Amino acid sequence: MRDWESDPAEQESGKGGQKELDEQVLGAGLCTGCGACVGLCPYQTVYHDRTVVLHACDLAQGRCYAACPRTPTDLAALRSRLYNETVCTPELGAVKGFFITRATDEGVRRRAQHGGTVTALMALALREGLIDTAILAGEGEGILPRSITVRDPEAAGMQGSSRFVVSPTVAEFNRVCLGNAAKIGVVATPCQALALAKMRTQPVSAAENGIEKLHLVVGLFCGWALSWQKLAALLKKKTDLARVTGMDIPPSCYHTLEVYTTGETIRISLDEVDPCVRESCRTCGDMTAEFSDLSVGSARLPEGWETARSWNQVIVRTERGMDLLELARRLGVLEFRATPPGNLEKLKAASLGKKRTAAIWLAGRGNTAERTGQAG
Amino acid sequence: MSMDREQKEGAEVLLMGNESIARGALEAGVRVAAGYPGTPSSEIIETLSRFSEAGKLYVEWSTNEKVAMEVAAAASFAGLRSLCVMKQNGVNVASDFLLHLTGSGTRGGMILVSCDDPGALSSVNEGESRHFARLMEIPLLEPADFWEAKEMTRWAFDLSEAIRNVVMVRSVTRMSHASGNVVLGPLPAVTAKAQFLCDGPVSDPDRGPVTSAPVIQKHRLQQEKLRKAAALFEDSPFNTYEGPETPELLIITSSACTLYSREAISLLRAEGRAGILKLGTTWPLPPALLKRHLRRTEKVLIVEEVLPFLEDQVKILAAEQAREIGIKTFYGKNDGTLPMVGELNPDLVAAAVGQILGIDPPAIPAEYREKLRALTAALPKREQTFCPGCPHRASFWGIREALQRDHRGGFVCGDIGCYAMASLFPAAGFHTAKTLHAMGSGTGIASGFGKLGPFGMEQPVLAVCGDSTFYHAAIPALINAVHQNADITFIALDNSGTAMTGFQSHPGLDVNAMGEASPKVDIAALCGAMGVPVTIGDPFDLIGTRVTLNRLLEEPGVKVLILKQSCALSPEKKVKKRFLVRVDEALCRGEACGCNRLCTRIFRCPGLLWNRERKKAEIDEVICAGCGFCAGICPAGAIRSEEAAK
Amino acid sequence: MTEHLTKDPYNIVITGVGGQGNVMASRVLSNMLVRKGFRVTIGETFGMSQRGGSVMSHIRVSPTAVWSPQIPKGMANLIVALEPIEAIRVLADYGNPSVKVLVNLRAIYPVGVITGEDEYPSEGKIRETVAALAAEARFLAATEEAIRLGNPILGNIVMIGAVSGLGVLPIDRELFETVIREWMPAARVEANLHAFAIGQAAVALKSPLPQREV
Repeated sequence: MRDWESDPAEQESGKGGQKELDEQVLGAGLCTGCGACVGLCPYQTVYHDRTVVLHACDLAQGRCYAACPRTPTDLAALRSRLYNETVCTPELGAVKGFFITRATDEGVRRRAQHGGTVTALMALALREGLIDTAILAGEGEGILPRSITVRDPEAAGMQGSSRFVVSPTVAEFNRVCLGNAAKIGVVATPCQALALAKMRTQPVSAAENGIEKLHLVVGLFCGWALSWQKLAALLKKKTDLARVTGMDIPPSCYHTLEVYTTGETIRISLDEVDPCVRESCRTCGDMTAEFSDLSVGSARLPEGWETARSWNQVIVRTERGMDLLELARRLGVLEFRATPPGNLEKLKAASLGKKRTAAIWLAGRGNTAERTGQAG
Repeated sequence: MSMDREQKEGAEVLLMGNESIARGALEAGVRVAAGYPGTPSSEIIETLSRFSEAGKLYVEWSTNEKVAMEVAAAASFAGLRSLCVMKQNGVNVASDFLLHLTGSGTRGGMILVSCDDPGALSSVNEGESRHFARLMEIPLLEPADFWEAKEMTRWAFDLSEAIRNVVMVRSVTRMSHASGNVVLGPLPAVTAKAQFLCDGPVSDPDRGPVTSAPVIQKHRLQQEKLRKAAALFEDSPFNTYEGPETPELLIITSSACTLYSREAISLLRAEGRAGILKLGTTWPLPPALLKRHLRRTEKVLIVEEVLPFLEDQVKILAAEQAREIGIKTFYGKNDGTLPMVGELNPDLVAAAVGQILGIDPPAIPAEYREKLRALTAALPKREQTFCPGCPHRASFWGIREALQRDHRGGFVCGDIGCYAMASLFPAAGFHTAKTLHAMGSGTGIASGFGKLGPFGMEQPVLAVCGDSTFYHAAIPALINAVHQNADITFIALDNSGTAMTGFQSHPGLDVNAMGEASPKVDIAALCGAMGVPVTIGDPFDLIGTRVTLNRLLEEPGVKVLILKQSCALSPEKKVKKRFLVRVDEALCRGEACGCNRLCTRIFRCPGLLWNRERKKAEIDEVICAGCGFCAGICPAGAIRSEEAAK
Repeated sequence: MTEHLTKDPYNIVITGVGGQGNVMASRVLSNMLVRKGFRVTIGETFGMSQRGGSVMSHIRVSPTAVWSPQIPKGMANLIVALEPIEAIRVLADYGNPSVKVLVNLRAIYPVGVITGEDEYPSEGKIRETVAALAAEARFLAATEEAIRLGNPILGNIVMIGAVSGLGVLPIDRELFETVIREWMPAARVEANLHAFAIGQAAVALKSPLPQREV
């Protein structure tokens, strides 16, 4: 199986502008809603969780196309430029270390979906001056999250619950770059992390993008995201949208989306949720945000879900990521516990499974997949 | 520069055709004049309004043309001379009432002036109104120069009183909006008291009720009136002939085409071969006059705009008189000698006459023509667009932003007014407006689209409508949409005036055509009374407009958004700029920016231009109207606006 | 100044862009000629004129007859352009080897130029083209002069002054003053007279304005 990256020979022909972006990504239903094409120019914006074209742009080559995580990408080249190749794995990308952690602060844990590792790390990075600005997914309107920018570690500590609908984090990054932030940290889904990585490796426009301000990418494990429109329509049938306070998915044996409302917990079968999954997520082979400094996901522990849900597993990919994690250990911001044997292998298998499924989906899309260069 | 009260009888002055028509009405002692603005007719009512005076001359801009005609008819019923004025499309609006009125007949002389627009120089069709004269069975007069426009209008009142029916005077843009020498006549002292005598029997045309019933009797009477008019036309001084006794070619023409025909003969030096029968009374045609002239020639060219109206009538007469006048060869629109669309000009007529007589029109030297072609080939076109500072540009920008976000393929049903430009020139309306028909039709069409949801249509439907158009014809359509529970978003583009035609008053304003204080009818209150939600916004508040629209687009039923901001050409706006706008050199990244010249390439305000040398945007301070809206569209924030000092 | 016309009819085209005072200029000039006893016809197109379109007035002057409001193609005797490329546009349709042309050099860019899609010809190119197509071509910085007088719109009056200075029509400053006093508030008369005089002198003396004959 070929990896889901494009042949380098396709690279030249893979350049494009809004027209190609629209043909290959937006119109093809492959947009992730990451917001990479937004804010670099005024022609696209994100409305709810959908990227829309506001006006036609006739540039033959645009940053919108170049930064998009769903346009053809030479992932191997990207990886070799950004990571130490000796630690790269075919299943999970760069793996310098693998840990089970959680926030020491119980308050952070309570507010967070799982172990609160991401929240604790971002707050730490702000506090220690590793970054001066953090971009996170925060509370939006109803079930629609929005990207929020915080400079205060305390404020960062207030965020943390999982989102099932994407927020245009990269658009927020592009916006924040125009301001006076100098060192920006981003909590990113795999597609958002890839977009940021593509922006980092574009020689010409790097300064224009302000990408040099990007100092930290904390990746989030991600199986898929839901379309806001479709999810909203589904939830409206079950409850009043305004009452929804959060959502979670227990381990796969439950096959359920738990929707927490002010009154009760509603359980919706994943079969019912499945049609709401964004098309772009089905074709995505990156489960662990391979283009981050470190990636965080929910843990799987032998004690079972009730214990596991308060822990995270962390893949460290870069020096910077490792330094941050070690700092957190030293300052007691994170608690660590032994990694159960076989966990990394299980993760690799799961990631490989996602890559396979994505390849099948892409193949099923026929020519579109070929054109986007993401076919296996 | 226009005719005023100071000008004295006997003075020879330069008058626009419309001013001349107005003067003719004044010289006839007109007491009531009503109309609805529309190019090229508006100056008639505007001129009369300057002569308005309580008890002597009442002038109004009516809500629409049908109402204008009803208002004028009432004056006629009360024994006063009255005038109603409209552009060609207006006659369509008025025609329902007109058909009844011509059946019932009139008392005080009543004239309908219709100004047609061959070539659609400022219209969205070139439909002509002459056919209405035939359809309504009323006499039709067409002036052929500026002086005659006055004389003919004056006489039309006499004719109307002689036959007790409406007389139609038809002008065209090249007559109404052209100017020439006119000698002013006396203005009569008018004293007749208005009184509607209606106690007599139905059969009494002077004292009975005024109705078109009993229909058959009244219809018969109407046709008698028309025959009487035809008889009067036989000797009318408005029908003239110039040319040889027995011309090789007889040109039959009317209106501005008379001047083109004269010029064509002059260009071809064909004075000895072709003659012009210029008709001022074009319906019904005087048969004896026509017979006299048709007899003396073999070839007949009919020159007129736009459709072959005269041509058809002349051919009918020629067929009826064939035994006496012999067989003729006819040239005109039907055989393609002259085009059947667009306006004519001296060159087209000269080409036609030249073709028939075998004369080549004069040509400029080939060498010069060659040079001309080479040197003038690549001139940048002048595309029409919204004025600098126009609130419509901002409104459509907001609409575009909302529709693209909404992402269901929503579209705007356009309407008549400056904002029709959004439909006529897609780039001007940012490709949102997709239909354009009659006044108020955007709302009616939207109402229909708004019921297609059950047929699978998922696109949001919007209608736009200006303030004057709202009162004119959109209200019934909007009420329909409300009552039928159509899913539409109705946007009133309220710029506080009939901006397109020159700021005539309308029911939404607190002043009338005579400059008197008038009660105003509030659009928001009217819509509110229809029971639908009404939001009032400022089109210059982009985010507000967009957020409101996106919310409204999600809601079912009729939603009304009033975008209120006065026209950039309105007197108060022209006085001073609200904002001083500039482009910050340091922030504008020019071609290095990813914006691809959004501010100029897409936004297209004449006040904001792309400097090709410096490759950056800049404000043209002479042209910029200072609305400040563009400051919100630059992604780099390089367009800065600051409130101008009071 | 001449009391007689060199042609019957004498055909003048005043051209420009909506909002430049084209209609006003043609009315002023025509009123002067009517006062001189001529038959004048003005043909105008101004339906959508304020919205960036080209505006053209055709003026036909004759001692005896009323002529059509449209000049036949190739038959202009004098073209007065309030905007430079409009001079060329009119020449394309109404030019002939004996036409005289007065050009205000202040450009008003069409939308396509504003947006960077079209290129506006350079002043040199415009001068060259007009000069090549006209028997006599004069170029004036009328708008700049008008701005100096306090209002760019007076550029149209500077151009009418230039028509007078050209000496092809029987119009002078006195006649202009008579006409302008009739329809202008007294306060604005002075500036108009000034504008007229500037244009007149510029063409008559062939130099006080930044203009030159090519």
